[in-house]
Amino acid sequence: MVRASFPDDGLLIFAKRACETCAMVEPVMRELACGGLPITVLTQDDPSFPSVVKAFDDTALEQSFRFEVEAVPTVIRLRSGKEVARTIGWNRAEWERVTGLPDLGPGLPAMRPGCGSKTREPGVWEELVARHGDSGLRARRITIGEWDDEIEACFDRGWSDGLPVVPPTDARIMRMLEGTSRRPDEIIGHVPPNLAPITIEKVAINAVLAGCKPEYMPVVLAALEAALEPDATMHGLLCSTCFSGPILVVNGPITREIGMNAGINCLGQGNRANATIGRALQLIIRNVGGGRPGEIDRAVLGGPGKYTFCFAEDESDPTWMPLSVARGIAPGRNAVTLFQGDGIQGFIDQRSRTPEQLTSSLALSLLAVGNWKLCEFTNAMLVLVPEHYAIYRDAGWDRGRITSALHAAMVRSGEDVIQGALGVGEGIDVRRKDEMINKFWPEGLLIVHAGGQAGLFSAICAGWTGSRFREESKIVTKEIRL
Amino acid sequence: MKPGLTMRDPTAETASDLRSRTAPLASPAGKTLALMDIGKMRGEEFIDRLEQLCRARGVATRRYKKPTNTRVAPREMIKDIATHCQAVVIALSDCGSCTSCSTHDLNDLDKKGLPGVSVLTEEFRQAFEAQKSAIGLDAVAVYVPHPMQNRTTAELHAFAEQSIDSILTAICYSAP
Repeated sequence: MVRASFPDDGLLIFAKRACETCAMVEPVMRELACGGLPITVLTQDDPSFPSVVKAFDDTALEQSFRFEVEAVPTVIRLRSGKEVARTIGWNRAEWERVTGLPDLGPGLPAMRPGCGSKTREPGVWEELVARHGDSGLRARRITIGEWDDEIEACFDRGWSDGLPVVPPTDARIMRMLEGTSRRPDEIIGHVPPNLAPITIEKVAINAVLAGCKPEYMPVVLAALEAALEPDATMHGLLCSTCFSGPILVVNGPITREIGMNAGINCLGQGNRANATIGRALQLIIRNVGGGRPGEIDRAVLGGPGKYTFCFAEDESDPTWMPLSVARGIAPGRNAVTLFQGDGIQGFIDQRSRTPEQLTSSLALSLLAVGNWKLCEFTNAMLVLVPEHYAIYRDAGWDRGRITSALHAAMVRSGEDVIQGALGVGEGIDVRRKDEMINKFWPEGLLIVHAGGQAGLFSAICAGWTGSRFREESKIVTKEIRL
Repeated sequence: MKPGLTMRDPTAETASDLRSRTAPLASPAGKTLALMDIGKMRGEEFIDRLEQLCRARGVATRRYKKPTNTRVAPREMIKDIATHCQAVVIALSDCGSCTSCSTHDLNDLDKKGLPGVSVLTEEFRQAFEAQKSAIGLDAVAVYVPHPMQNRTTAELHAFAEQSIDSILTAICYSAP
């Protein structure tokens, strides 16, 4: 540990002008200065304070950091260069014990608490650790030139999805790691397509890039764990020539705690948690997994959801069973569901008044997913807005009944959807001509309740074509570990 | 060059921390090589000879000259090079500012898909390594003796003759 040079036998007093107790004990500092022991006052905020003795300028807080000062005033007794006693705040008996001098501060109250050290103000400690301490971080250091623009440097190194990223400095990474109790060196799994191992620290670095706040970390980690489940087929989803990417639906109280949007414009821009959690997952796949467009990511068109596609479900209506609960997570718990899907197809219906009418109407639009004639080929996610759900709810329909009614409304005769039927080459195997055909697998239609309170405009997200292999590619839900 | 901000690598660290440079041309046949004079004194004499040597080997060239070695190339020049040329030689850096600016030019053209090589004097080998590390590009350089400002034209021509093979190899897999 490198400390500034102070007398081996003497007193150090850490103080700041903004602290009333520090100002109150200024006369005591003068007493101490006359008491025989060398005294050094290290000031954290104003080098002209105190005026009674010469102050050591510690506005950079390096010495306060190195002496692990938690509060001011802090009095430290050094003997042979080593700390042998310390006290914080003003307490006459304690100051007399530490300094060995009697009758300090006549006229002052017997004790008064001090203030917090500036080293403990928000964001400061991590910066000081980064500058003077050991951050414990293991990732490779990248140092840019003094005059280089750090945002451009991140672009140049290929760390970005095309939008600016937040430079991952040690202080930011350490703050991000505060968002989880998991050890930085814990390996979570192997990220496709390169199947590179990923630690919590690497997740934090990419969460910094994405613009996350530390409190989003548990959600980012659960999203990543969902993506790393073999059933999520992240490798295929990423490398696919299709439009798809991971769509994340978050459930539970954490969505309210971190301010996720489940309401107006929740599938759109403007909410930091929604935007950056989805982005963090995509940046991890890019940076750690090596999945970069044009290289191993071979999407013909891609889609804007590949920047980020993450939102919360609206759980405010007690009649609605949350998606996570429908997928086996206990009520009140936090979870992330990863749906392999595309961008949205708007569903407009401002005329239906009954559940039956609305079901028929929704079914018509859902049938268009992928291709009107393709069946059991992709999954689909229906984002049902409150006004549409109200039509069901007021008639006593719940999630289960809506789901089964929609499936039933989408059963068609095989002869209408086989390849070649209706003059269209695309379609299902001609050998199924005489069967009645479901549009989706029974588990392949997800319904999520979200959106603003006004507007009869729900949304359909088509699923990825890889889901045609029903046993190989599945929607994944992971409980969030806090 | 003083170090600036330190960040942590967000990648799997399975590759170099430098971005791979644009791959060299398979062959210079049918391609045009930009000869960018960074604007430093005496560089023109070296490039004159380089141009003759390229032509003698059937390599088409197009000359550019920066207004000053102390700044990066004007945006219009970078655009013109990227439009008309398929590879670039940037010469001849023999000072700190020209080493820094010319490496940035090399990076800008690399990002536009042009393999390139920078020609510097030996004295700036370390500066080039530091600059390419700061920029993050696995850039390539060819070095000629230092100093060069007190050389005769014949000596500068000799430098070009001695380095032409290395220069063309840096930008073409099968150099003529």
